[in-house]
Amino acid sequence: MALSRDAIMEKTREALVDALGVDEDEVTPEARIGSDLGAESIDYLDIVFRLEKAFNIKIPRGDLFPDNILQSEEFVQDGKLTEKGLEELKTRLPFADLSAFETNPNVDDIADLFTVDMIVRYIESKLAEQAG
Amino acid sequence: MKFYLVDHIQELDPPERIVAVKNLTLAEEYLADHFPSYPVLPGVLMLEALVQSAAWLVRVVKDFRPTLILLKEARNVRYGAFVRPGGQLVMEVTAKHIGQRDSAFKALGRCRDKTAVQARLVLEHGTVADEEPDGDKVDERLRPFWRERFALIGGPQALAAGAEAS
Amino acid sequence: MRWIWIDRFTAFEPGRRAVAVKCVTLAEEHLHDHVPGYPVHPPTLMIEGMAQTAGVLVGDAFDFAEKVILAKVTRATFHGRVRPGDRIRFDAEVQGEVRREGAAVTGRITADDRLVAEIELMFAHLDASRAPAEPGEGNFVFNEDFIRLLRMRSLRNLGADAPSPDA
Repeated sequence: MALSRDAIMEKTREALVDALGVDEDEVTPEARIGSDLGAESIDYLDIVFRLEKAFNIKIPRGDLFPDNILQSEEFVQDGKLTEKGLEELKTRLPFADLSAFETNPNVDDIADLFTVDMIVRYIESKLAEQAG
Repeated sequence: MKFYLVDHIQELDPPERIVAVKNLTLAEEYLADHFPSYPVLPGVLMLEALVQSAAWLVRVVKDFRPTLILLKEARNVRYGAFVRPGGQLVMEVTAKHIGQRDSAFKALGRCRDKTAVQARLVLEHGTVADEEPDGDKVDERLRPFWRERFALIGGPQALAAGAEAS
Repeated sequence: MRWIWIDRFTAFEPGRRAVAVKCVTLAEEHLHDHVPGYPVHPPTLMIEGMAQTAGVLVGDAFDFAEKVILAKVTRATFHGRVRPGDRIRFDAEVQGEVRREGAAVTGRITADDRLVAEIELMFAHLDASRAPAEPGEGNFVFNEDFIRLLRMRSLRNLGADAPSPDA
C-alpha cells in the first residue's frame, strides 16, 4: 500500500475524530494528542486499534505511544531526563520532534511529544517497512 | 430499584446549565451484583444520571411539553474515579443546543473533586402521542407527573435561586 | 432488580464474537418508572447489556482472571424503541484482538430484524492499585453467580451458530 502523506493524514484524522470525538479541523499536524485533542489513557489504545485497522498494520505495545517510558534512575533524575534518558527517548520515539523538549526535559512533558504529525510519520515508516 | 437517577437539583440556569446530584447508598440492591464485595455505581448509571439531568433542563426550557426524552446518542463517554456507597455523584451538564426535537450537551460527573464520568450527549424529545394511538391520554398524565417529580427534587427552588442571582 | 442485563448467550467464538439475547418484560421494575404508562427499555441499560455481552468475550480471552471493566463508550447510537414483549439480541465483535492493556468491541442490538442500536465500547483491566484485592476474594467482576447464571463454563459448546443480522 503506497499511500501519500496526505492520504495517511486523512485516515489518521478519521481515526482520531472517531476515537476522541473532536472536530476534523482540530486535527492539525501540530496538535498534541493529549493536551490539544484531550486523549486520556484508554484513548491511546483506541487510537492504536483504529490505526491498525485503517492501515492494515500491526502496532506492537509501546511502539507508537511508549507507556512507562522511562522508569529507572539511569534515565530520570528529579523529574527530568538524564543524557542517557534523552538518548533512550530518541530511540523509542524516532518520529518525535525533541528539539524544544531537550531544552527542559521534564518527564511530565513527554506526553506532549505525541502529535498528529508524529503518528503520520510513524505510519509512513511502518508502511514502507511492510512494502519491504 | 427506582429508575430515578437525579436526587436533587443544585443549580439551574436555563437554557444553559444544570447541576444535580445522585447519592449512592448500599441500600440500592443492584450493588450486590456490581460487584460482590466491591460495590460501585455502574458506569451506565452514571451515564443515565447525566442523561436525566440533561432531560430536566430540556423539560424546564420546553415548559414540560415533551413527555418522552430519551438518549439518542452518547459519544466519548469516559470513566474515571469510582463512586462508592456513601458517596455522591455531582452532575454538571451544559447545553450546546436545545432544539425542537433534539438537544446536545456536554456533561461531567464528579465525585469528591475527581472526574467520574464525562460525556457528550444527544437527546431526542417527543410525546407518547408521537409514538402510538391514544398516546395523548398518557401524555396528559405524564406532564403533571414530571412536574411533581421536578418539585420533589428541588427544581422550583433551584430555578428561583438562579433567577435571583442573574 | 439484579444487575444482569442479558439472559443467555446463543453464540460464542472465543476472541472474536459473541451473541446474547434478553427478553424485556413488564415484570421488570424499572420499566414502570421509565416511563409511567409507556414502558421503554432504557438506552443506557442496553449499553450495559452490550457491555456484559462484550465483557464476557473480553474476559474469556484471559480465562476470566482479569477484572474487565467498561472504560469508555466511544459511541452509542439508538434507532428504535424496545418495549415489553420484545426480545433483543446483542451482537458483539472484538476489533483487532484482546490485549493485556484492554480491548475494543463493536456491537449491534436488534429486535427481530429491526436495528435498535450501534455501540462501540472499550474495556480495561482493573489492577490492584484501583481496587485492592482482599485475600481469597477472587474476581468480583466474574463472580460465581454471574458465571453460573450465564452458563459461562459452557460458552465453548455454543459455536458460531447465530448468523449476523444484516440491516
